[in-house]
Amino acid sequence: MMRYVRLFGVQLRASTLTLLQYRLDFATEGVLEVFWAITALIPLLVIFGERSSVAGWSFGEALLVTGWFTLLQAILEGAINPSLASVVDHIRTGTLDFVLLKPADAQFLVSTARFQPWRATNVLTAAVVFGFAFHELGRAPSPWGVGAALLLLGSSTLLLYSLWILSVSAAFYVVKVDNLTHLFSSIFDAARWPSSVFRGLLAYLFTFVIPLALMTTYPALALLGKLSPLALVAALAGSVTFALVSRLVWLRALGKYTSASS
Amino acid sequence: MISVRDLCKHYRVHRRPPGLRAAARSIFRRPHVTVRAVDGVSFEVSPGERVGFLGPNGAGKTTTLKVLSGLLHPTSGEVRVAGHEPRRRDEAFLKQITLVMGQKQQLLWDLPPAETFELNRAIYGVGRDDFRRTMDELGDFLELGDLPFKPTRQLSLGERMKCELAAALVHRPRVLFLDEPTIGLDVSMQAAVRSFVKRYNEHSGATIVLTSHYMHDVAALCPRVVVIDRGRLSYDGGLEALVRRMRPERRLVLHLERPVDRVDLEKLGKVVALERAEAVLQVHQEVLQSTVSRALATLPVRDLTVENAPLEEVMSELFSRSRADLAAAEQAP
Amino acid sequence: MRLAGTLRALPVMLRVGFADAVAYRAELLVWVLSTTMPLIMLALWSAVARDGPLGRFGQAEFTAYFLATFIVRQVTGSWISWQMNYEIRRGTLSMRLLRPVHPLVAYGVESLGVLPLRVVVSLPVAAIVLAVVGSGMLPRGPGMWALCGAALAGSWLLTFLVSFGIGSLAFYLESSVKVMEVWLALFFVFSGYLVPIELFPPALRTVADALPFRYQIGLPVELLTSAHGWPEALALVGRQWLFVAGAAGAALLVWNGGLKRFAAFGG
Repeated sequence: MMRYVRLFGVQLRASTLTLLQYRLDFATEGVLEVFWAITALIPLLVIFGERSSVAGWSFGEALLVTGWFTLLQAILEGAINPSLASVVDHIRTGTLDFVLLKPADAQFLVSTARFQPWRATNVLTAAVVFGFAFHELGRAPSPWGVGAALLLLGSSTLLLYSLWILSVSAAFYVVKVDNLTHLFSSIFDAARWPSSVFRGLLAYLFTFVIPLALMTTYPALALLGKLSPLALVAALAGSVTFALVSRLVWLRALGKYTSASS
Repeated sequence: MISVRDLCKHYRVHRRPPGLRAAARSIFRRPHVTVRAVDGVSFEVSPGERVGFLGPNGAGKTTTLKVLSGLLHPTSGEVRVAGHEPRRRDEAFLKQITLVMGQKQQLLWDLPPAETFELNRAIYGVGRDDFRRTMDELGDFLELGDLPFKPTRQLSLGERMKCELAAALVHRPRVLFLDEPTIGLDVSMQAAVRSFVKRYNEHSGATIVLTSHYMHDVAALCPRVVVIDRGRLSYDGGLEALVRRMRPERRLVLHLERPVDRVDLEKLGKVVALERAEAVLQVHQEVLQSTVSRALATLPVRDLTVENAPLEEVMSELFSRSRADLAAAEQAP
Repeated sequence: MRLAGTLRALPVMLRVGFADAVAYRAELLVWVLSTTMPLIMLALWSAVARDGPLGRFGQAEFTAYFLATFIVRQVTGSWISWQMNYEIRRGTLSMRLLRPVHPLVAYGVESLGVLPLRVVVSLPVAAIVLAVVGSGMLPRGPGMWALCGAALAGSWLLTFLVSFGIGSLAFYLESSVKVMEVWLALFFVFSGYLVPIELFPPALRTVADALPFRYQIGLPVELLTSAHGWPEALALVGRQWLFVAGAAGAALLVWNGGLKRFAAFGG
């Protein structure tokens, strides 16, 4: 266990050194991320220019969901995407073999291979959005709300990570899946809006199959004091289950790689 | 150290014929073919040995190596390396082996090789003192100088290969697998890699398994060769013995003072090449002595050398012969 | 000579382009599935319209609009700028330059190769729109349909040429992928992809009319859903093709300049 903690440190150090190599990228990527976050707010501004509530959510409340989305996206782009996107490259160029030869868990090694902290500038954007949202709402969140929201932040990150592992496992089965990051981000975009926007089949899809609702709507509800303890427990349990399932799928995919490739 | 019995590795490959209709049909259904990459190979390797796998492209050498290192699961057969079953990829097993691939690298691209060494040190759990000692030794053997401190992408192919070797040996493995390590390198770098591998083997007693289709790699490094062709083992033993068995003839290269008639040369042996005042004769080992005396006596010889047949020729004949055998066997009822 | 040769090679190139597209069907699936934005927007705007229509947009209108957006995006989307970045960085662009076909044409043909499959994917979506919304919003008369065709073609060309131009920037910058991302961000906002142009506040609307993005997606969608009368439609299509011509000129300019640099530095 200690070994993995130390390994994590070593990997993080390697990423930071790489970061310092590409300082210009650091700056431009950060700015670009903020730019994207702002453009995505425009539909909200247009809608709430005309209406005062959508699917039961007011402007301030909807902003909370978008804020959580921005925060999670920053974590996704900064910590999860870079490493796992490289797995697809590894598979294609055959350098995954080197990962498999190391006496450490392959999933851990590939997941911690690369961090891009400059993409996390949207953590700041999220903070601004939160600030604005609470200004609109005219009140601050309760301590219990904040606590529950932080717990959900952890479980949402775990959920995002697990979904990513599932997507990357797909790359083992299909020869060329270049745009995995793009696909993932596109589907994740649905988490930008409160989940009650979706009806019927989509609602079912986004709650149970790809639980986007859990990731952004629940934390927003927690901050608003509207999340029941039962829902909180269900969300946490759901994330853990997902993590276990994705681990199994990863192991299976790895097994296929070693049995059929050359 | 290594024990392989009846190793088989088959896998399915999709085939797609050209043409528009086939392309459209392939949206729904793709025919596949079973490729027998390795088809019943058996051999044993003792600790500290240096063994070369020889064979044409697609023979199954790399596949065998990947099975030995645990990267591929065999379809059938028994494999044991360093007392472990490679497919299980036990931590203890992985710490005892290393694989160096000529066309791929494990060095981190954007950072200096030293960072990869550090990473490997952490992953393999090598103590600081051991690490220092190992890296000093490797730096010396490989003449690394300050190469490990320049970003990998700034190094030339040969320099990268040297650092790659160092990175692979951080944990002092007992078994070293090398897959085409000299491919793409210039002549002097090839020689440097070969002499390093030999020195490392002699110094540390590590078992070396090398695949190459450069005959000179194998000739320089491996007293024992295993020839694999079409997934089957066609020879296992010493290289010298192989050459002598395949081509019991020696080559006599004659530099003459003046041009001589072909007829006169043919009296001595089979003329392989003749160009003005230079001739190459193929002569059986047993009559070599007498032929040399006769040549010196009857011909205006200025200079004379005795050689073996070129390795490449021997090998291509071995492969074509084994292919013919295989084809005959496949056609027999 | 070059033109004749290119024309002769065209059928084979198209066929190979199609076969290529089929070989990478997983990739195609990924691209199709990645076009989620119109569907997500549809859900969002429908939710807004639950309480009453926004302008002339009720739930039915939003459905037609965004599903049409999905179809148009499928049929006109281009990945060329990323591919060019990749090829220029790897140096494999040199191989294209050795062939007697202008790379612009080669990329164009490859892009056309995926059209059949993308159209096939779009058909069920079109069927859904007709089933759910009815054919009331479809264009009337062959003239209007011809105009729609022109708008779609213009849309495809504009998107392709912009992609090609930005891809060519990779000759100058280390990577023009970020430039493409900036373009995409602006495209999302000003093309009617996220918000129908009609629903923009008036100031923003004038800005959107002057920018090229609207003509990449917004125009064909609007024509397909009968948002404009004849005179307006003609004017808009005319403006679109002006943008196409401008894009062609700019793209070739960037390409030619970039090629000189590429040759100077040895690729």
